[in-house]
Amino acid sequence: MKKIVKLLVIFVVLLAAAGMVFAGGEEEAAAVSSVDAEANLAASLAVDVSVLTAADGQQLIKIGGESRPIPARPADPSALPETDPLHWWDMEFAGWNSVKTNIPDSPKDGAIGKRITMIVHGDHPWTTACTTGAQKVADAYNIDLKILSPNWDLAVQNQMIDQAINERPDMILLIPLDAKTAPQQARKINKAGVPLILFNTLPSAEAMDYAIAWTGPDDFGQFRVLSRLWADALGKEGGVAYVQHAPGGSPYFARCFGPISELSEYAPGITVLDKQAPGFEADKTMQLVSDWLTRFGDELKGICAADDSSQALGIYEALKKAGREDVVVIAAGNSKVGMDLVKDGKIYAITYQTAEGDGALAVKTAADWFNGLEIEPVRYLPQHMITIDDVEDFYPPQW
Amino acid sequence: MNATVAIGFTLILIIGQLDLSIGTIITFSAVVGLGLKEYVGFGLSVPLAVLAGAMIGLINGLFVAKAKISSFIVTLGMMTILQGTVYTITGGNSISLATPDAFAVSDWLAYMFIPLITPRVLITLILVVAASIFMRRTKIGRNFYMVGGNVQTAWLAGINTDRYTIAAFVISGTMAGIGGVLFSMESAAATLNMGNSSLMYVISATIIGGTAMSGGKGGVFKTFMAILTLDILYNGIILFGLGNEVKIFLAGIILAGVVLYEAFTAYRREKVLGQRPELMKELAAQEPRS
Repeated sequence: MKKIVKLLVIFVVLLAAAGMVFAGGEEEAAAVSSVDAEANLAASLAVDVSVLTAADGQQLIKIGGESRPIPARPADPSALPETDPLHWWDMEFAGWNSVKTNIPDSPKDGAIGKRITMIVHGDHPWTTACTTGAQKVADAYNIDLKILSPNWDLAVQNQMIDQAINERPDMILLIPLDAKTAPQQARKINKAGVPLILFNTLPSAEAMDYAIAWTGPDDFGQFRVLSRLWADALGKEGGVAYVQHAPGGSPYFARCFGPISELSEYAPGITVLDKQAPGFEADKTMQLVSDWLTRFGDELKGICAADDSSQALGIYEALKKAGREDVVVIAAGNSKVGMDLVKDGKIYAITYQTAEGDGALAVKTAADWFNGLEIEPVRYLPQHMITIDDVEDFYPPQW
Repeated sequence: MNATVAIGFTLILIIGQLDLSIGTIITFSAVVGLGLKEYVGFGLSVPLAVLAGAMIGLINGLFVAKAKISSFIVTLGMMTILQGTVYTITGGNSISLATPDAFAVSDWLAYMFIPLITPRVLITLILVVAASIFMRRTKIGRNFYMVGGNVQTAWLAGINTDRYTIAAFVISGTMAGIGGVLFSMESAAATLNMGNSSLMYVISATIIGGTAMSGGKGGVFKTFMAILTLDILYNGIILFGLGNEVKIFLAGIILAGVVLYEAFTAYRREKVLGQRPELMKELAAQEPRS
C-alpha cells in the first residue's frame, strides 16, 4: 500500500509540474502575440461573425431583446404575491439596474489573440453545442479559448475559478452553477482584476455588479410568450400542472412562475393544479404525470415542462399510456427530442433556445468589449416559439 | 471541505460501518448555518449548524447501535429525509448572503497569511492532526479499531461497543457539519445540493488511503494524504486540458487498482498463513492417481 501511495504521489507531482510548464508556455505565447494594438483593433473590428451559422442552419449570432420593455422596479417586489409578474422583477430583470463595481476599462486593442477562459456548468449535450458555438466565434477572432467543465460540482467550479485567476486570462466567461453562489464567485474574479462576463444561467442580481455583462436566453420573457400561446390553445381555461426545473437555479422560477404570473393576468380562467420538480429522468416524470392523471383526471388540460427532452419524453409516455391526446403540452427547448415531439404533434410548442448561439453570444460580447464597443448590461438571445408550423426550419437539431 | 468530512468518515469505516448521509448533512448544516445567520449572527448560527450535524449523527448512531439496523439502510434513509427537509425549509431556493459581513468572513477564510495556508486550510490541518493523534495515541481512539476489527472480541474485552458506534456517527455528523459550514461561509451561499458530490469523493479517498471497508484498519492522516493526492491529480488533469471523462476514468482506475491490490495482499497473506509446508511436501511426493 505504501508503495502505491508513493508511486501515486510521484505521478501527480510530475503531472502538476508538466502542467505548470504548459501553462508557462501559453503565457509566453500570449506576450509575443500582443504587437500593434491599433492594427489589431482595426483587424478585430473588421471581423464579421454575422455570416456564421449554427448546426441547425440558423444565424449563429442574433442579438435579441433590445426592444423588451423593462418596467419600473416596485419598492419591494417580494411583498407582492407570486402571481404578480412584478414579484419576480429582481430575478427577471437581474442586471438591468446593477451598480457596476470595479469593472476594468476596455483595453480597446482588439479581440484577436486574446486568451479567454470559459467555465461552464457541466458535461451535457447542450454544453457541447454551447461550446461549439463559442469556439466558432473564437476561431473567427483567433481567440485562444480554454473551456473548463466542473461537471455540476460547485466545489470544483470554485477551484476552477481560482485556477483561472492564477493563469491571468484576458477574460473569464462563467456559467454560474447556482444563482446564489454567483455573487461571491463574480466578486472574487472582479477583485483579482480579471474582466468577467456571466452567461446562460441568470445569477442573483448582486453578481451582476461585478461583471461587465450577462448574456443568455430571456427565460422569463420566452416563457411569458410561450404561456400566452398555451393559454390560447387551451381556450384560456382549465387546470394545468408544471413539471419544474431543478430547484435553485433561475429556470426553476422562470419556467414555472413566469407562466403562472403571466397567465394570472392574461388567462385568469386557467388554474394551477400542481407543480413538482421530479428531476431530469424520463421515468420519474412519467410517474409524476401518471399520478396527476389519476388524481386530476379530465380536469388536467395542460402541462408545462421545464425541459423538452427527458421530461417531455416522460410526459409523452404517461399521456400515451393513459390514452390522453387532449392535454396541451409546452416545454423549454430546443433539443432533438423536443423538436421531434413537436413535429409529431405531441408537444404544442417549445421555446427556441439556441445552445450554440448562447456560447457564441458570450464570446462575441467579450470580443466587442476588447474592441472598445459599448456593452449593454444584459444581452438576450432572440425570442422565438417553435411550433409544428416552423419546426422544420430548425433541423438538424443542435443537440 | 472533503478533507474535514473524510475525518469522520474514516472513523465510520474503521468501526466497520457506512455513512451515506454525509453529503446531505453538509448541505443541511450549510443551510442551517446561513439561514440562521440573519437572526442570530454567525456567532450562534455556526455552532448551531455544527450541532445539527452532530444530532443527525446521533440519530444515525442510535438506530445502528441500539435498533441494530444496517448502517447502509439507516444512513440511506437519513440522506433522503434530509434532502427533502432541505427542499422544504428553503422552498427550493438556495440561500445567499451577499452582504459585506458575509463577504468579509469569506475573504478571511480564503486569505493566505502564509503561502498556501488559509484559515480554512489551517482549521482542516488542526482537525486532521488532532484526529490522528486521538486515534493512534489514546486508548479510546485505539478502541475504535478494536470495535471495527472484531466487535465480539471488543465486547468481551469490556468495551461498550454501542457507545463507540454512536460516537463514531456523532463525530462523522459533526465533521460533515463543520465541512458544510466552512464551505458555505467561503461561498457566502448555501446551495441545495452542495454536498452531493462529496459522498463518492470521500468514500474513494478513504479507501484509497488504505482504510479497510471491513473495518479495524486505516487512519485519518492516510485519508488526508489520499485526498491531497486526488486533488493534485485532478488539478493536473485540468492543467493538461483533459476532460472530466478522463478524471472520472482515472479515479475509477485508481480506486479499482487499490481495491485489487488490497484483495491481492489479503489473498497472499491468507495463502502464506494457511500453508502447511510439511503437508505440501507430502502432497507433492504422492504419486499421481491414475
